[in-house]
Amino acid sequence: MATITFIESDGTAHAIEAKCGWSIMENATKNGVPGIVAECGGSQTCGTCRIYVSAEWQTKMDSPTADEVSIIEFAEDRTPGARLSCQIEMKEHLDGLIVRMPEKQYSM
Amino acid sequence: MQSFEEIDFFSDNSLTYDPQPYFEYLRSKGPAVRLPQRGVVAVTGYDEGLAIFRNEERYSSYNAAYGPNPLPFEPVGDDITDQIASNRGDRSTFNMISTYDPPDHTRLRLLLKGLLTPKRLLENEQFMWRLADGMIDEFIGQGSMEFISGFAGPFATLVVADLLGVPEEDHKKFRRIFTEAGMRLGSIDGVPPQESNPLTRITGHFYEYIEDRRKNPRKDVMTDLALTKYPDGSLASVDDIVNLSAFLFAAGQETTVRVMAAMLMFLCEDPALQARLRAERSLIPNFIEETLRMEGTVKTGFRLNKVQTEIGGVELDPGTPLMLVISAMNRDPAKFESPHEFRPDRSNAREHLAFGRGIHACIGAPLARAELKVTLERMFDQTSDIRFDEAKHGPAGSRKLDYVPSYQARGLAELHIVHDAKA
Repeated sequence: MATITFIESDGTAHAIEAKCGWSIMENATKNGVPGIVAECGGSQTCGTCRIYVSAEWQTKMDSPTADEVSIIEFAEDRTPGARLSCQIEMKEHLDGLIVRMPEKQYSM
Repeated sequence: MQSFEEIDFFSDNSLTYDPQPYFEYLRSKGPAVRLPQRGVVAVTGYDEGLAIFRNEERYSSYNAAYGPNPLPFEPVGDDITDQIASNRGDRSTFNMISTYDPPDHTRLRLLLKGLLTPKRLLENEQFMWRLADGMIDEFIGQGSMEFISGFAGPFATLVVADLLGVPEEDHKKFRRIFTEAGMRLGSIDGVPPQESNPLTRITGHFYEYIEDRRKNPRKDVMTDLALTKYPDGSLASVDDIVNLSAFLFAAGQETTVRVMAAMLMFLCEDPALQARLRAERSLIPNFIEETLRMEGTVKTGFRLNKVQTEIGGVELDPGTPLMLVISAMNRDPAKFESPHEFRPDRSNAREHLAFGRGIHACIGAPLARAELKVTLERMFDQTSDIRFDEAKHGPAGSRKLDYVPSYQARGLAELHIVHDAKA
């Protein structure tokens, strides 16, 4: 077991016991964390599971693929550290991970 | 008419015109309620339904296409996962991607995702603009038309044809295949005969395409499709590619078409709204979301619970079929204020569940949204007014609109409109 803390745009924090092997998105939606919509369920087509990850934590993760980058661009989110939480698998070495969430997952 | 208590939702045609009073009756019993018929538990609560969509470990999609029919096996024990796996046989009802659970589902979903890359979707949208222009040119001079057969149906077919790289010279052939095809999804009044199933003909064409491109690769989308790989890097089987292609045609047809018609219906019903959208095109995306919330095509979806559990206060034994009443979840007053009102500027309209959620969420949602937007933009570009054809639908106050007879699909059977071409 490992923990992830999701922080809403207003500062509300949600700490969960995370399951390794699941994506960050699955860990959020299956634990009822508000703010991760994940419309497409992890198919990397909707851009509604965005999180912001600090540079320090990013160094412990794989870099985003070109497809992930283009989905984030399409969502018109230019916040530094923006990632799709469905594309990051939770692993033991990410224990204690802290991520922030956007105010809205939709641009419209 | 029978009371709601006695009515069989799965065979009663009296609920197709407006099922909402029945759904409100179900809601009055709680967010989940066991129907007296067929042992099905109906879920109308938004939160309860969302939790089920997101929990594929507890809720199987085995019966997603099979609906409320009696299971072909007797559930035994406290976890029926293995029974589900060994009772699929080769019936297509239990062997579509929409019915699979992980890991089989995961493998196919990743393959499908490869066909719907952001780049491919953008190219496909460019095609939509051209296609809409060409198709509107066909009827614009006539002054009136039946919108579903005259535009929405063939438009949806050809958009998927382009997405998969069907050569343009074959588009006429694909258009014909679907023109006379009957509605099949959750049909109440009998399913059309197998020989008229358009998917059988679609798969025939795709076997030819894929085999040809594997022998003679060229620079086209169909070659990319033919050379699709599984996530482990191995070449996908021809069967998987052909079946997924046919699935995309099926999934992108009826669903898109009925929502397109609903969108125009709302605009015919409310000329002031039509004028406002024509003047402020930026309102279109949220108008589309509100249309999806109010009149999404998929009225109900099905899951099978695998282990002893509880939902909305109802105890579920393993093997209980669940009916997710999407049309009711989208009107849950705890989620949407004044849920039965059409509010084009509703701030949370997009949180509807018309495309489902979780691992089976509609992968074509971005495609559908683009189709709806392009259709409306181009209809606005080329007409100055669209209204009901009163010779067919009657005058305001006594409108006659027929809906498809189905416990799973929601939508107009026909929509006759009169339009004024722009000068």
